[in-house]
Amino acid sequence: MLKVCNARKVFNNTKVLENVHLDVAKSSILGIAGPSGSGKSTLLRCIQKLEQIDHGTIECNGRAGFMFQDFQLFPHMTVLQNLIYAPSLKDKSGKENCKKQAENILKSLGIAAKTSEYPNTLSGGQKQRVALARSLMTHPDILLCDEPTSGLDVSTTMDVVSLLKSINERFDITILIASHDLDFLVKISDRIILLKDGAIAVDIDPQKQDTPIDFLKKYY
Amino acid sequence: MNKIISNFLYIGSGIGLTLKLTFGGVFIGVVGGILLSILRYNGIGRSLINAIVSVLRGTPLLLQLSFVYFIAPDVIGVRLDLLSAGILAFGINSSAYIAEIVRAGIESLPRGQFEAAQTLGIPRFYMWKDIILPQVITNIFPAMVNEVIALLKETVLIAMIGGLDIMRRSQTIAAEQYEYFQPLCMAGIYYYGLVRLIESIGEKIEQRRPYAKSL
Repeated sequence: MLKVCNARKVFNNTKVLENVHLDVAKSSILGIAGPSGSGKSTLLRCIQKLEQIDHGTIECNGRAGFMFQDFQLFPHMTVLQNLIYAPSLKDKSGKENCKKQAENILKSLGIAAKTSEYPNTLSGGQKQRVALARSLMTHPDILLCDEPTSGLDVSTTMDVVSLLKSINERFDITILIASHDLDFLVKISDRIILLKDGAIAVDIDPQKQDTPIDFLKKYY
Repeated sequence: MNKIISNFLYIGSGIGLTLKLTFGGVFIGVVGGILLSILRYNGIGRSLINAIVSVLRGTPLLLQLSFVYFIAPDVIGVRLDLLSAGILAFGINSSAYIAEIVRAGIESLPRGQFEAAQTLGIPRFYMWKDIILPQVITNIFPAMVNEVIALLKETVLIAMIGGLDIMRRSQTIAAEQYEYFQPLCMAGIYYYGLVRLIESIGEKIEQRRPYAKSL
């Protein structure tokens, strides 16, 4: 689904990614762990082509959707407008279709009542769901989530786990999640890589480890 | 009493010219300023735009007005009437200031807004039109109202090339009647009234946007 070969990224003479090799299977959930500044977000941004790698290749078979750490909803648009704006530009005759589809997605994410609200009236968890819904409207084959639980409380974090898992199963979407929250990553991921100084230090299947969090912590 | 009323009405009949100059200038200034900012942000003609903005902000508005009215006919071969020359000069000058205001507004937006538009596959034209500019305009709205007010007060310079605006009319009465206090106070009342009107329209527009608090 996604193949990263020998990727390198340098910012102001600082190596942010170095010799990253990664092969992600379709419909899997890959967790990307690592301390601050280890290159987690940069790797996702390079896959999404928000940054260009300086060396190596990234092959992505399918459309990628991106969920930003701070959601980046459009504040002057309602929830529904946030969802349908981009798809209806591509298919002007299908605005009604887009609207119907958006309403279905919002319903399945449990925020149908927020359709006409502006983002500034939503809680962190609700914004998270809207951001997720907006990504799903582009029919991504692969979803890149940058720190999706940052700033969320424990119970909302658990909601995000079940939400992303259900999306992974229902829509058959491959998911890559960059997070510093090891507990969250262990609960959700089929596989976890740990980045340290821009390179992959560990690559594990958390289900096959007795104490995956302790194991990962050793590399911090 | 009749004299006071007739003086007041005579000065007030300059409002039309003042408003035409102000809103004509603001229209050119807003369109020009936004265009200059977007071009500069995208790196198109950045040095040239910087130079234009620098010259327009670095020279007196009266000098620019004189250039447009007295020198432009020799250069471009077209003699502009007083109103057109005034609107053009005030508009060009205002575009330099508005370009700076819009630049600050664009830079105040999170980079993620541009990136979110990019990841959703929104074409650049629509990104600027529907995502970036509406937020920028909300952010810079108070500064834009200030610019309109400043321009309104700067339109008194039209008197220097013969325009009969509020200020010029009050000076005419003062010169004719050897009485300065009364006509100047009347001019002050008109200008203050117009400024208050612009302020209250600005406040009303700001209150109508429910999302503004989140920006």
